[in-house]
Order: sequence, then C-alpha cells, then structure tokens
Amino acid sequence: MATDEVDIKQALKEEWPDEVMKDEQNQKLIDGLEKEIIQLEEELQKHKAELQETTRNSQIHEDIPETKIKFTALENPESDRQFSNISYSCQVNSKVPYELQKGQALITFEKEEVAQKVIRMESHHVQIQGVKVKVMAKPVSLKSGIRFQVHVEVSKMKINVTEIPDELPESQMRDKLELSFSKSRNGGGEVECVEYDRQARSAVITFVESGVADRILKMDDYPLYINENCHRVMVAPYTETHLEKFQVFSGVSKNTVLLIGLEDLWMKDEETVEDFINIHFQREKNGGGEVEVVKCSLRQPHIVYFEE
Amino acid sequence: MAIAPVAYGSSLARGQIRATDTPDLSRLHQPLLPHLQVQFPVPEVPLVFRGHIQQGREMAKCVVSNLQICYPLPGGSALVTFDDPNVAKQVLQQKEHKIDVEEFRLRVQVQPLELPMLTTIQVSSQLSDQKVLISGIPAGLKLSEEELLDKLEIFFGKTKNGGGDVETRELLQGGVMLGFTKDGVAQQLCQKGQFTVPLGKQQFPLRVSPYLSGKLHKAEVRSQPVPQSVLVLNIPDVLDGPELQDILEIHFQKPTRGGGEVEAVTVVPTGQRRLAVFTARWS
Repeated sequence: MATDEVDIKQALKEEWPDEVMKDEQNQKLIDGLEKEIIQLEEELQKHKAELQETTRNSQIHEDIPETKIKFTALENPESDRQFSNISYSCQVNSKVPYELQKGQALITFEKEEVAQKVIRMESHHVQIQGVKVKVMAKPVSLKSGIRFQVHVEVSKMKINVTEIPDELPESQMRDKLELSFSKSRNGGGEVECVEYDRQARSAVITFVESGVADRILKMDDYPLYINENCHRVMVAPYTETHLEKFQVFSGVSKNTVLLIGLEDLWMKDEETVEDFINIHFQREKNGGGEVEVVKCSLRQPHIVYFEE
Repeated sequence: MAIAPVAYGSSLARGQIRATDTPDLSRLHQPLLPHLQVQFPVPEVPLVFRGHIQQGREMAKCVVSNLQICYPLPGGSALVTFDDPNVAKQVLQQKEHKIDVEEFRLRVQVQPLELPMLTTIQVSSQLSDQKVLISGIPAGLKLSEEELLDKLEIFFGKTKNGGGDVETRELLQGGVMLGFTKDGVAQQLCQKGQFTVPLGKQQFPLRVSPYLSGKLHKAEVRSQPVPQSVLVLNIPDVLDGPELQDILEIHFQKPTRGGGEVEAVTVVPTGQRRLAVFTARWS
C-alpha cells in the first residue's frame, strides 16, 4: 500500500540522508534524460522525413528532347583514350515543380529589385474587370532539385555481344568468339581480347583497330560459328556512362512572386485575369516594372515548373 | 501488503550501503547527443517561372545544356557540311566518290555522320556513406579550382583533423565534395560539423555535412544522324591540307556530282588524328 512506501521512504531518508538525496538527484537526471531521448527521437523522425522528401525531389526520370547539333571545332586528342571513344557530355538540371493553388497567381518580373519591392509592399489593390481585388504578394517557397553532368563514352574498339548459346565450355567458347569476330569477310577484324561471361551469355570483344566495331554494328547480329553450325549473336555498342558534379540544390525564387487572394474570381477566365494582373504590375506607380509572365489558378490548381 | 520495489531496495540492509553503491549520473548532465542540424545545407540556386505549366506529360521536366560530342577523325578523312541536308542525302547516295584532280582521280568513301545522343535518363539520389559536402567557402578567394581542392584535401586528409584518405573530390556550385576511402570518416566529420580550415594565408570556418550522391539507373543512348554533314574517308595521301580542302570543296559543290552549297570542309591529313567537336545548334 502507498502509505507503507511512504513510511519506508521516510525511514530510509532518516537513516541514509545523503544516499537518498543522491538517489533523488539521479532520478531527476534519469527523468531528464528520458525526456531528452524522446525529444531526440522526434527530431530524428523529422530529419528522416526531411531526407525522404529531399531524396524524393532529387529524382529524374525523363526523356530528353532531341537537340540539333553542329560542327564547332577540330581539336587535337589529348590521349589515345580520347581517340578510342566517341564521347558525349551534357549538363542536366531538373526543373522544380510548384503547385499553384486555387486563387493564387505567379508573376515573374524582369528585374529582381521589382519583385522584391512588390513583396515588401505586401498588399496591392488590383482592378480586375471592374472589381477591386486585394492581392497579397509573397515570396515563393520552392523545393529542391538536382543538377549533374552526364558523360557517355561509346567505344570505337569494343562491342557488346549477347545471346551467345551455352553450348561449349568457357575457354572453348572464347576461342570460337575470337575466331568468328576475326573473319574480315563477315565484317570482323583482328581481335585484341575477349571477355566472356558464360552465365550471362554475353561477351565484350575488343578489336585491335578502330573502325571494325563501326562496321559490325551496322548490323544487329553477327554469325558465330560453332563446329558446323552458325548462330546469329546480337551485337550492340559498348557504352560507359557516369555522372559527375552531382548536386542537390535548393530552389530560391528571386524574380517570381506569389500573389494570393484571387479566390473570389473563380468564375472568371484565367487569361483575362492574367492580363489585368499583368497590366497592373507593369506600372511603376503600382510598384511594378517589366513583367515576363503571369499565370493564375482560378478553378483548379496548376503544377508549374521553375527553371534556372 | 505489497511493497513496491524502490531503486536502492537491494542495499536496504543497515550498514551495507556505501557511497559508491549509488551510481553518480551527474556526468550525464550534458546533452546526450550533439544537437542534430535541422537541415543539411544545400546550395541555393535562383530559379524563375517562365510559363512552363504541366499539361499531361508534354514538356521535359529537365533542362539539358552544354551539350558536347567529341568524334574521333582518323588521318586521311574530312568532314563536309552542306547548307542543305537534302544535298548531303544526295551525296550519300553514292558510297564511293571519284574526285578529279588535274592528272589523276582520288577515290574516296563517303559515309553519313551519326552521333550518340542521350535520349532517356533516370537518376535518383541517396545519402552517401563515404562522401561529404564542404560549404561556407567564401567567394572571391584568389585560388584556382585545383588549388582550392588541394588545400581541402590536405586538411581533410589528416586523421588529426578527423579526416582520412581522400579518394574523390569535386568542385560543385556552392561547395566541394570530398569522398573518403575508409568507412566512418564521413560520419565522423559530419558529426563535428564545423572546422576552421586554412585556405591560403587565412583561416575560414567551413561546414561539413552529409552529401547526397547521384545514382544512375538508366541512360539510353541512341544514334542520331547529323543531316547536313558527311564523312569522307580513306582519302589517299597525295595532296597537302589546304589543297585537299579546296579540291574537296570544289568537288562537293558540283551539282553534276549531286553536290551543292558547302558550308564548311575540315580536313585531317594522313598520319594525323583529330577530334571533331560538336555542340548544340542554338547554343
């Protein structure tokens, strides 16, 4: 019973006062630590969630639009390696998405100072089709994006061979591959080395001279002679791709401003409203300046993209 | 009656309690773990809305820039670019061209030019165990990229600074990435977080935080023809560079040979090798 506890505690306090005090202090510390552990666990969960959010935003799965190319210059290759590959490189930057809610608009100004001024002024009274609308200007809060370089090397000396039948022991098949790919009458040439993966039924053939690979790759398959039989194996370019300068960045909007307060205009035409907003904010007397683009969401949210 | 056990219950016997029996937890007065940073820093990049709105899956959600392709050209070859892609097409109808040069004829091969182009990319990011991001490097430092990377590698390569053997290093926009050979070094450095690092004559406070590294899942590369250009190969070694250039231009301009207005001719003399560099047309 509770009273017995109290009695015992009292007795102990009288007998060993120092110990009891120390114990009470320790108990306080333990309580404090337990609280801290809970707090840290909460923080850890928050960080995990933030990390998940950032990694979720740090993905790209895109088809790259076709780009027209032109000859620019003739250069000296720095090394032999540069001569054995056709190399491709480019910079890829993700566009950062932003969900424009109903009753909101985005306006991009040519000059950052104008955008910042509009935000500082906070409220603006805009005439939209005879109605005076109070619009609040706010900075845009953007998510993170990624940017990186892609480097691709397409070999002029090597090719990938697949669908090699699993009929011979490894060493013998390697020899058959070398023999077949050396036959110039089939488009082959002198083989430098063969890397054969029996389990994957594939191989990488390296030729001594440049040009053989190109010749063979004009076709999708190639004849492989095994004893009396001829198998067609698949050939494809040997490509190595890697990323460089990968970076997650946080988007910050300097020239684009968020306008809120257009909820009452839900029945109006979006383009018309955009025009009125554009005209209003073009005027210096309204605190504005040269406007690049305006977009508003009146009846449903729009997903828009921010870019560099 | 039930007695609830009390913390010091085991040493209740009179006279058996000693000062050392009760653990001294006062040293745990300090915070349990160093305070976790709210968000690991990522550099800020100014972005702008230019009118790109999602409508189905029409427009690409990434921007590709600085496209460059280096194509090796062997000796005895030339690159001929026409104004009109149809002319190139016509020229390519014949695999072999016979070029008249005063007393003799040059036999050359003509081929379409195809370059590898990235058509699909799939990339995700993940927290790296071995790499860190160093930020807070002041702008306007009079150090070249190489010098800056060297100084950071020297500092963070020392175990006495909490670092270790550096395996990779890259200058990024707004920071430097360092990758370490051994496990655990990155975590150690991130936990400390702040370092004073000598960069040249002065010391600067730099921040070390976890690095999200990129993982390539898919990269599809397709061959794309360059419609206006043709490759001329196996040019016999009888003329010198400038002369050969003129001869080729004359030949490929002749409408009777299926040719037309030539934009440019670039020649690689026999015995030499060159890289033809291609970039995006509207860059």
